[in-house]
Amino acid sequence: MKAMNRRKLISVSAVLAVASLAATAVPAQAAEVGVSSSVIKLGMTLPMTGAASLGYNKIPGAAKAYFDYLNANGGVNGRSIKLIVKDDRYVPTEAVAKTNELILKDKVMALLAPLGTANNRAVASAVNPAKRGVPVLFLNTGFSGFADLKKYPTHYMVLPSYIMEAKIMGKYIAENFAGKKIGLLYQDDDFGTDALAGFKTAGVNFTVKVAYASGSQGAAAAAGWITKFKAAEADVVILFGVSSATSAMLGVAAQLKYAPQWMLGSVGGDATTIKLTGVPAGVLYNAVGFSSVPATTDMKDEYIKLFSDIYAKAVPGSAFDLNVLLGMNTAFMTAQALKAAGTNPTRKSLMAAIDSKGATFANSALVPLGYSATSHVGLTGYWVGKYSPTGDLSPVGGTYVTYTTDSGAGPVVKSTYVRPAMPAKGLPN
Amino acid sequence: MRKHKESSHLLPFILGGVVLYFLSGMVDELRVYQGASIAVYVVAIASIILLTGYSGQVSLGHGALMAIGAYAAAVFRIEFNLPIVLCFVVAVLVAAIGGALLGAAAARLSGPYLAGTTLALAISLPSLANEFAVLGGEQGLLFDVGSAPLSLGKEFTQYKWFFWIAALAALTSMWLLQNILRSRYGRNWRASRGNEVAAQLAGINTARSKILAFTISAGIAGLAGALLSMTIGTVSPSAFPLNLSFSLLTGAVLSGLSTLSGAMIGAVVLVAIPEIAEVVAERIGSSENITTNLPGLLVSALLVLTVLFVPNGPVEQHHARKAKKAAKKKELNILTKPSMEGNT
Amino acid sequence: MIQLLNTLLIGITSGGICALMAISMVLVWRSTRVINFAQSGMALLSTYFGYEAIVNLKSFWIALPVAMIGGALFAAFIEVVFMRLLVKHSSSGPIASVAPIIATLGLLGIIRAIVSMIWGGQDVRIVGPLSNDGFTIGGETLVFSPLKLLILISVIVLMLLLSILFQKTNLGLSLRAAAYAPEIARLSGIKVDLVRTLGWALAGAAGAVAGMFQTINANGYLSPYSIEFSILLVSGFIAAVIGGLESLVGAVIGGLVLGVSVSFILMYVSSSLGFIAPFIILLIVLFIRPQGIIGAKAARRA
Repeated sequence: MKAMNRRKLISVSAVLAVASLAATAVPAQAAEVGVSSSVIKLGMTLPMTGAASLGYNKIPGAAKAYFDYLNANGGVNGRSIKLIVKDDRYVPTEAVAKTNELILKDKVMALLAPLGTANNRAVASAVNPAKRGVPVLFLNTGFSGFADLKKYPTHYMVLPSYIMEAKIMGKYIAENFAGKKIGLLYQDDDFGTDALAGFKTAGVNFTVKVAYASGSQGAAAAAGWITKFKAAEADVVILFGVSSATSAMLGVAAQLKYAPQWMLGSVGGDATTIKLTGVPAGVLYNAVGFSSVPATTDMKDEYIKLFSDIYAKAVPGSAFDLNVLLGMNTAFMTAQALKAAGTNPTRKSLMAAIDSKGATFANSALVPLGYSATSHVGLTGYWVGKYSPTGDLSPVGGTYVTYTTDSGAGPVVKSTYVRPAMPAKGLPN
Repeated sequence: MRKHKESSHLLPFILGGVVLYFLSGMVDELRVYQGASIAVYVVAIASIILLTGYSGQVSLGHGALMAIGAYAAAVFRIEFNLPIVLCFVVAVLVAAIGGALLGAAAARLSGPYLAGTTLALAISLPSLANEFAVLGGEQGLLFDVGSAPLSLGKEFTQYKWFFWIAALAALTSMWLLQNILRSRYGRNWRASRGNEVAAQLAGINTARSKILAFTISAGIAGLAGALLSMTIGTVSPSAFPLNLSFSLLTGAVLSGLSTLSGAMIGAVVLVAIPEIAEVVAERIGSSENITTNLPGLLVSALLVLTVLFVPNGPVEQHHARKAKKAAKKKELNILTKPSMEGNT
Repeated sequence: MIQLLNTLLIGITSGGICALMAISMVLVWRSTRVINFAQSGMALLSTYFGYEAIVNLKSFWIALPVAMIGGALFAAFIEVVFMRLLVKHSSSGPIASVAPIIATLGLLGIIRAIVSMIWGGQDVRIVGPLSNDGFTIGGETLVFSPLKLLILISVIVLMLLLSILFQKTNLGLSLRAAAYAPEIARLSGIKVDLVRTLGWALAGAAGAVAGMFQTINANGYLSPYSIEFSILLVSGFIAAVIGGLESLVGAVIGGLVLGVSVSFILMYVSSSLGFIAPFIILLIVLFIRPQGIIGAKAARRA
């Protein structure tokens, strides 16, 4: 181990000496890049430090917790899974550099859950995983553009798009809040643009719309937003922003005793995260919320039970929140995809497996997956719930009512999807 | 006379280009990409060295100037389908105009005021992209320079093409800057940096001289910005965070703020640090909390140590030490201060 | 009408906190002629000191002085260890004028990385001593609470105390003398180095108060990457410049002017100008009144 590090150190010095243009050894040829007889290597880039890392930096720990559990139970066809994580600080330049390292130096088989719209676009354009045949599994962004098979043939979405969410919200508003004055808080970028497009399709008319610049959502700004919503006398206020914006808004609203009917988007709607930032649970009470996976506190759910047990053992003291659940769910889906890819998985067989069987992959979500040979759309809808007096999102009346739709002009329909039972011990079957 | 001087300096740059050409054929793809990144940083750091080291003005907002260049190049590429060479020229021109405006403001400000103003610029400017649809919002614009001409062969990778373009741009701008610094303007900057009043007495219009420095520096920074967005295929606000401006300044300080030729050192360090940090982290094998913050700590610590102990950069320090030794040898009784005048 | 009043109150509160930050920047500037960009990092660290005190001693009123003393000691340490070395090694040469700026930026990075290493993985909260629920007048809840009132009063008290210290005491005289004419001060027997360290310590304490208040005003959530501290750094600096960098009263006025005008821009122009508004205000001030609202004309070029 030590010797290897020294060699690495020497090679780094050599890099310094000849302007980083040092030759590196060509590795032994394997059946497929990143797949050896005992290990499958996967790579992930996401913000681990910096302002954008809040909450998201729990994802690698969550995914690793599941993979470690899987490896301890025999792995996938005898191979263990190794996840290599790199910090991109939410900067495209870093994301490209780190993805290069993952593909060219660490030689991973596939990229897993890279985060952020701008970063994913930069990587797709500069590194071009499609041209290299590298699968990019289960993107951690809801930007609908990545479902375009022509532009992103090796990318697979997993989160429902922001457009879908806005459309489903629109349906809920039409059915429950007809004639009320609706206010919207949204982020002043593509995240918001997608939302606006969805609301437009759904025919929602807003009395007041408040945009905020990403990164400016402090307490002082939130006080200003509330003043605007108050002045417009909005009955229902939709918070379609990131967690920090939702938290700032609800925290200040509690101080001002401002209590319209809240409606929280899924991105910023994780109760655990919101409460951790000091928002009193009572403020969330009766707010309408949307999610595609079960509530993280729903211990009756077999996935939540198993995942939270695994996570508590792997990362003691860390709260089991939405990011953790999504990270573990993604890892679980990845394991099934690898299993379905055959005894000697290749990049091609991995993608073929998702195309043909992906829609039936067991996972914790309560809405169907949209994978097929002609679609890389992931989850396709949401269930609607309300927050309890303790601030946890739970389905109205105790049963999950789910809606599905698409990112285009398609209708929003009540889903009849029944989630398949969890495979034994939560291992891929 | 001057022409002769310039052409005599062209040779090392051409030689350097030839060396890089052969080197790029010998190493793997990752190193080629890193080589391209280094070339981009060389250009960016050179622009800061020109401004801060030679003209004595500090900028914490060069990331914003790079963003101007990058957006200009991408918009002209997309809207007018301009040839790629012209896109880079546009990047230089537009950023230079921005720099001239900023320079006009800067000429009225000194040290800390200028630092703060440029800092505020670095924070606020990139977020403007969300206000105008043509700039593509948070997801940004695509900036595709296309693949290498077929005549270079099928094996010629995209990254090699990036590297060639960036290396050529770096060599060209270094050569240009070298010559500008040797010209009258360069002498004016050094004179006003040392003592503004004395320079004014000697008939130098220091305000105009400062604005000119800002303009040229911004143009070069704009080129660096366009090159940077070439290597990531897109232009977006998040590609130009405050941290970029800080990193570049770090690179410039590590290079030695008063030696243009040192730009390489800072650029290599910036690219190498994350890899070094990874090795160190692996070695001490500690918690995730420590390993993820190690690169940031290393860069900052290096910056502080350099400012404290090698304030004039390693190259200058080396020269100074050599000069000192030589002076001692000849038993000259003159007190040799560390050279302050850059490479005159 | 209520909207107008609320907009004003939002501005005054955020302006008050950023005035505290501006005060600490002015204190450092006056004692060593350095703009300390690490000030927000120092405030962050001090706030974590305060957090540890709350966890162990269970009282905000004990934690606040702990944070202040911690912040003061740390600032003094930085001055003695870093700033003196800096003056020694790079007070001449081509980068003399920019070296302190660069050094404090590096310091900011070091502090932030270390704080992240120690506290980064945890979710940390500080609960304020007073309710942050808004006052109610005629059925309308105002954007103003007992806590915010406390913050404003603290800002004013702190400013007054510092003003008295500077104007009425021998120590204050030494502080001013060391800042304006260090050589003469030294000749007249003032321990210039000690006085400078003291200036930094005072700034560290003021920064600690700013960090603590900023945190409790924003739901009490504390993180090394918190947006609140980045906002604090930039707005503190801009407020200090608006106030002319030299004057404590100027810093407070600068903070209030900045806070109120940003609040009005966000309310009545566009809510998405969160980052651009402070910059525009800075530019306007620099062009119209480059010496700041309170400040000598020569200062800006010094």
